[in-house]
Amino acid sequence: MTYQLTRPARLGLEDFARLAELHPDLLRRFVVLGLLDATTDSGGALWFGPGQLARVARIRRLRAGFALNYASLGLVLDLLDRIAVLEAERRRAARRGARTWT
Amino acid sequence: MAADFYSILGVSRDASADDIQRAYRKLARTYHPDVNKDPAAEERFKEISEAYDVLSDPKTRQRYDAFGADFRRVPEDADPATWGRSRAGRGQSRSSWDGGFSDSGVRYSTGSAEGIDLDDLLGGLFGGRGRRSWGPIPGSDHEVELELTVEDAYRGGSRALRLAGPDGERTVNVTIPAGVVSGQRIRLSGQGGQGTGGAAAGDLYLVVRIADHPRYRLDARDVSVDLPLAAWEGALGASVTIDTPGGEAKVKVPKGTSTGRRLRLKGRGLPNPRGKAGDLYAEVKLMVPHRLSREEERLFEELAGTSKFDPRRRR
Repeated sequence: MTYQLTRPARLGLEDFARLAELHPDLLRRFVVLGLLDATTDSGGALWFGPGQLARVARIRRLRAGFALNYASLGLVLDLLDRIAVLEAERRRAARRGARTWT
Repeated sequence: MAADFYSILGVSRDASADDIQRAYRKLARTYHPDVNKDPAAEERFKEISEAYDVLSDPKTRQRYDAFGADFRRVPEDADPATWGRSRAGRGQSRSSWDGGFSDSGVRYSTGSAEGIDLDDLLGGLFGGRGRRSWGPIPGSDHEVELELTVEDAYRGGSRALRLAGPDGERTVNVTIPAGVVSGQRIRLSGQGGQGTGGAAAGDLYLVVRIADHPRYRLDARDVSVDLPLAAWEGALGASVTIDTPGGEAKVKVPKGTSTGRRLRLKGRGLPNPRGKAGDLYAEVKLMVPHRLSREEERLFEELAGTSKFDPRRRR
């Protein structure tokens, strides 16, 4: 079996759905609910960045692990992202041994 | 409401129902008052909710496109064309319905199925028109950063803040106690988000942040400040005046003081309304002249020849 080492820079809905192993309609709903970022071309077709695949997996894990509907998952994802950013900042500050200069 | 519902959601007038919902979901998650503590966010959220309320329902969207912002005052059975002509002086209402009216039947068919819960919840909370009643709900708390100088924190005082409120900007007068520290929260009860159904308003928290100061460095209420000394002042000892947040103070520098020594002035840091005031630390930095006069150079050479002092000697 051969594996593709690189993925194209963006994926159409059908390809993306195949890789995510989900129905295209469900992915379209994810976009409408603001769970996934996609660009819409002039013909109305959706295009996804490859990074969105990891996001789909995360959505599925959270959905399976908690009694959350997809709409509320949007908020959960936003908050988790925000926490990740803040934690990274804290770690950076701690590594620098930052002393507050105020 | 003055602003256009489409621009509030950041979508074009011919956006699909999907686009509108997508834009709304993202904005709602950013500006919900329990997610975003900025007082302005609550107003923004109400606008977003109202815009979505109108544009997500094909019927009201059609009427909004036809009649503009005051569509609710137009009778249900009014014909857009006739109505537009009757107010021809304004001109604007006509063009706006031409664009948005035509293929509306197709556009709205892909409605939402699962997301309904959240819509109902948010609509009910923030004065969305009559979907479901949730009873009185207390308002959310707001948070505003309050930047103070070290001197402000030392002295305390009053401050007038301009904040976003339900009826435009409002001014809140705050009394800042002397000796606030960075990160401290000052609570103004009842100045937060409004409750619905007669419930209490939330509180407003002012989070103090003390701005960087060119001289003072703060650690809670302790203040550190550089104390530059001439080399001989460190060697022989001296009594010097330094600036502190509370005014000038005298520091006695003991004999044999080197760079890095911290001289403590007890209680000369920031005051503490409930306990001991902070201390002031003068951090010694020995300096020598950048250029020596002939006489100075001679004296230093004499010292170099006489002294046995070796700061790099290993023990």
